[in-house]
Amino acid sequence: MERGYRIRSKPNYETLMWREKASAQVVVAKGAGGLAVLQLFQQMYPTQPVTVFYVRGNGSDTDHSATLARVVGDAIKLFDSETDALYAFYRSLPDFRMGTRFYVSGTESFMWSLCKLAKLFDIQESEIMMELSNSLARPVYCVHCKGTTPDVTTNIATCSKCSRKLFVRDHFSRHLGAYMGLMVDAENPGEVPEIEEIYP
Amino acid sequence: MGCLAFKKETFRDDYTYRNSPEAIHRFPFPFPEDKYMYSVNIEPHVSIKPGSVFEFPFDIDEHYVAECQDKAITLAKDPGRYAVLPHMMDAQWDVLELIMESLSRDYPDQFKLTKDGNRWTWHNLPLGIQDTFTFGDRSTMAMDPFEYIGRQTQGDFVLLDQREGTLFADAGCITSQADWSLAFDVGMSWHQWHAPVPRATEIGVMDRALKFMMNLQLGSPVRRLNWTMTINPRLDTSPENYPQWGTDRNTVTPENAGDKIHLRVELQTLFRLPRSNGIVFSIRCYLISLNELATYPRWAKRFHRILRELHPDLIEYKGLTKFHQIAVDWLARFDDGAALEIGTQPE
Repeated sequence: MERGYRIRSKPNYETLMWREKASAQVVVAKGAGGLAVLQLFQQMYPTQPVTVFYVRGNGSDTDHSATLARVVGDAIKLFDSETDALYAFYRSLPDFRMGTRFYVSGTESFMWSLCKLAKLFDIQESEIMMELSNSLARPVYCVHCKGTTPDVTTNIATCSKCSRKLFVRDHFSRHLGAYMGLMVDAENPGEVPEIEEIYP
Repeated sequence: MGCLAFKKETFRDDYTYRNSPEAIHRFPFPFPEDKYMYSVNIEPHVSIKPGSVFEFPFDIDEHYVAECQDKAITLAKDPGRYAVLPHMMDAQWDVLELIMESLSRDYPDQFKLTKDGNRWTWHNLPLGIQDTFTFGDRSTMAMDPFEYIGRQTQGDFVLLDQREGTLFADAGCITSQADWSLAFDVGMSWHQWHAPVPRATEIGVMDRALKFMMNLQLGSPVRRLNWTMTINPRLDTSPENYPQWGTDRNTVTPENAGDKIHLRVELQTLFRLPRSNGIVFSIRCYLISLNELATYPRWAKRFHRILRELHPDLIEYKGLTKFHQIAVDWLARFDDGAALEIGTQPE
């Protein structure tokens, strides 16, 4: 990897800020991403209708649910699993009207899973603000078996579907919400370079 | 073209693909000078020289039937090589019309198109296909119009949608690509799609090319040549099947280099489409082994200089690292060091 190389196929994530021109505000966050939501609510409590979907942190992922519940009040929906939260979000999508703005914070895997759902309802990327929370972990798409492995922290990942060892390329697909993974030892079977954590 | 004989040959397994002397002579050799670096190098796609690959908008050659068969095998094994986003239907009909009209006009002995209002009958003699359908009505075809015509034309096709001040690769029929993935890249904007190309962004090539393409006019198509190298005459050098072809790079020796190493030239053409205001980007692949290339020593000499001086980033990006030196050494015997005039001609 070149030093300071910018991945042009990947968006630059932002710091979440309310957009005042909105008909409604929808916030979705997971674990440590809750901090970005607390910062949002420090800016102001929006005047538009607001809904917050929050996945409680567990294990090493920080949990902000207690503070968030106090700050956000009745508008918060709490979940124990990412799947449940994404499903609830998906079920609510038909109710969101034109002009709704979306705010997402969490790992890249989480944020792009959500974008994929939103896209099913023709919600544009420009209507979704994203802030990466405290991990650089990457979702990796296996170009060979087409499976996606979430939260990869190493230069080389084992595909969760076909078990090939994948080199993680600096090329990102928004519609798949993942980086490209290419079999690392295709030319020299068994020759896998040292695996290092580079996306902590 | 009336006497065109289509070869029986393969682009995989036993690799029986070969060029006839005529095919070698018309090969689109891409190096007018001794040095190569990315450039926009776009020129009007106008007809030049009868018999050359630039004579007609879409070139049909002796490899047509075998290449369409190889395409069918690739699509059967991985249907993801064809992808289209839903808003591209107008562009699909545009490209079907463009190709059918071109082929039936330029190769009347091989392709016939008859129109009775919107009822069109397409007759592809080399592939033994005859179909009647209603132009503009998807339900009258067995598959998407873009897939239908993509399967019957040599090369790869990308349909670009123009919006938000850029171009989006919103459809493709891609079976002979030099290591890029349609399933991964579909829907990407111009700059996202080209993100992995080293040095090109830094020297501004991608911005200039985009500006040029956005102004492309109906009826004024353009072309450029691009190149890389492939071991064995394999069309499907996709990242999807990298585990199948990657090891071929280990098999090159000084003894078999002339046979195994191929120069792979892409004739890239761009046409504005009338209804959708989209663009069809055609990437037509020509393969020639070093042995075949060296039947014209002028080409071997020039190619030797190009490879010897190639920027290390490009050697890496084009995947030549393992056999680059072998190719340079193999070609060196043709290079006496004397100056070569500018131009791509074989003699």
